[in-house]
Amino acid sequence: MGGFVGAAGSTTAAVFGALALVAYALSAAFYVAHLRTPRPLVGKAATTFVILGAACNLEALYARSVALHSVPYRDLLGSMALLGFFLAVLNVVLELRHHDRSLGPFLMPVVLVLLVLALELPVSRAAAPRPELRGSVFALHVTLNMLGYAAYAVSCALAVLYLAVGRSLKKRGRALDGAASRLPSLGYLERASRTSLGVGVVASAIGFGLGIYWASHVWYEKNPAWALDPKVWAAFLILGFYAVTLVRAHRGASPVTTARLVIAGFALVVFSYTAVNLFLTRLHSFT
Amino acid sequence: MTANVVFVGWSHHGAPLDLRERLVFTPERSREALEGLFRERILSEGAIVSTCNRAEVYGLSDREDGAAAVACFLSDFQAIDAAVLRDTAFSGRGEPAVRHLFRVASGLDSMVLGEAQILGQIREAHRRASEARTARAVTNRLFQSALECGKRVRSETALGQRPTSVAGVALSLTGRIFESLAGRRVLLVGAGETIELTASLLVEQGVAAADVLFTNRSADKAEALAARSGGCAIPWEERFRALAEVDVALSATAATEPVMRAADVAKALRRVRRRGPLLVLDLAVPRDFDTGVDDLPDVYRYDLDALQGIAARNTAERRSEVPRAEAIVDESVTAFLAWLASLSHVDVVRGLREKLESARREELGRYAGKLQRLSPEDQKVVERLTETLVAKILHEPTIGLKEGDASDRLARAAAVRALFRLEGGE
Repeated sequence: MGGFVGAAGSTTAAVFGALALVAYALSAAFYVAHLRTPRPLVGKAATTFVILGAACNLEALYARSVALHSVPYRDLLGSMALLGFFLAVLNVVLELRHHDRSLGPFLMPVVLVLLVLALELPVSRAAAPRPELRGSVFALHVTLNMLGYAAYAVSCALAVLYLAVGRSLKKRGRALDGAASRLPSLGYLERASRTSLGVGVVASAIGFGLGIYWASHVWYEKNPAWALDPKVWAAFLILGFYAVTLVRAHRGASPVTTARLVIAGFALVVFSYTAVNLFLTRLHSFT
Repeated sequence: MTANVVFVGWSHHGAPLDLRERLVFTPERSREALEGLFRERILSEGAIVSTCNRAEVYGLSDREDGAAAVACFLSDFQAIDAAVLRDTAFSGRGEPAVRHLFRVASGLDSMVLGEAQILGQIREAHRRASEARTARAVTNRLFQSALECGKRVRSETALGQRPTSVAGVALSLTGRIFESLAGRRVLLVGAGETIELTASLLVEQGVAAADVLFTNRSADKAEALAARSGGCAIPWEERFRALAEVDVALSATAATEPVMRAADVAKALRRVRRRGPLLVLDLAVPRDFDTGVDDLPDVYRYDLDALQGIAARNTAERRSEVPRAEAIVDESVTAFLAWLASLSHVDVVRGLREKLESARREELGRYAGKLQRLSPEDQKVVERLTETLVAKILHEPTIGLKEGDASDRLARAAAVRALFRLEGGE
């Protein structure tokens, strides 16, 4: 639990982090129960707890930001907490937009794991943030990229569900059997996955553009070779890959192929978020 | 008191279709029949449930031969031979009558186990009886309890959840693939009765008539079908191109060999840029679509065997839910009978007496301090005075609760229970 306390020892962040964790856990439990036996009250409880969890998560991030005198996601802990927050928010947005709760049982456990890991991670001991890591352009760049990652994660989850439902429907005589029969229609999963992919591509594109703008102003003297940083290339590759996938989907590509591409693209996202951030990049490593 | 609830009916279990057709009650005929049953003093309240599979009369009767009298009346009313009606009727009195209605409302007595239409039909029967002023305290409670029981069975069991007909399964599959059928394009291959029926069913489900394409080896038959349904006929040779542009393809030709070969389907789907999955419903025997289309990623093919297999399993699943549904019926019957028993004259009068006696003692207790100041003789006078007051208050209601027919008595008993908030009324 100490992870959320932060360098400056913010107990507010710790309390709200713990509350977010509890709310997300309850939400995940209600979502799973709702998937097994749909009941309106259970569904509403799941949605209520995810909204409460997201509110606590946001407050924890804010308290952490105040304690660190910097953006709260300059380390892996804060970054994961932000990713969890965005996933929870996207889950609620999709739920309200499509009137469907089938994503929650799959997404909320991921959010829960992200929060648990975040709370278990060691705290950043950097005394003060580097001066260049301040400012709204940098904050927006990171925030939008995290939103992009979260949207890609949601799109990937929906693509997995699409393939699962499609596989179940291919069983012909047993097409209406099993857990997949309680999931939404292929049409909904395809549309929701495409919507989420669109959100991800737009957020990443703006985030990427802001990053280039910020780097060309802040790093042009100190790190003139910033454009060669592996993280920049990984982000560019992911953006390009998903943009092409999205355009193909809009132009009528096979939904099964699109779903497979979305899942493959997410492998790149995970690689960029973990291996690149932790081992390959110098300029984008967590402080 | 439960023995006063009677029912007599004819259903798909024992009455042939031609008899059921003659027993259908339109709203007007239903009202006339109920009024006649009242006039003849056979029933003191009641309702008629009339569907394509059943005609049943439920009511309250003081007569021992209530059910037989209803059947006899209906024989004259519908001009049907009394012996035929008697031989095919089933009837009940008391608990069996109540149980039967609750089982009917739950779909346990339906031709298609668990079908949901019956709930609406029972609601309609109750509405008609209310309009005819033949639904009173007991009928109202009986039908409301039956509707609640039916709803519970549907929400707490899987009795009515999955389709059990081939058409229902096919529609269910479209629901698993598309969010809605509105805006979808459909290709119908063949020109038989199945194709024509499917076209009208699809339009009912939201497909625009103009989005239904017909194709057949005999172009004139396809054109005739298209003209009748407002759809569009396409040449037989264009069927593969059309397949790539539609969302649903349904085939039911009499061809002896597949008319949709996998290689041609794959080629057509590759050539035309399409979006979304293709649902193929192959109702032909032998099959019209090559089984090789199953290997195409966005094609979901179901033949008659697959659809019938799903329907059969769904039926079996519904049957397995029967014990749970019967348990809910048991609970509902018990609750209704407990309510009905609470309306017995003896119980209501006893309840009323206890309520007033309790009030009397409470008030005497409140003034106990002041009463102690009175002499023992005066205290006895006050005691007797209050006892007499209670007895006088009880006198008229006690007589009133015994007057009139069964329906009047029960309606008054229910009113007394409600007004004085007597326990056991709910």
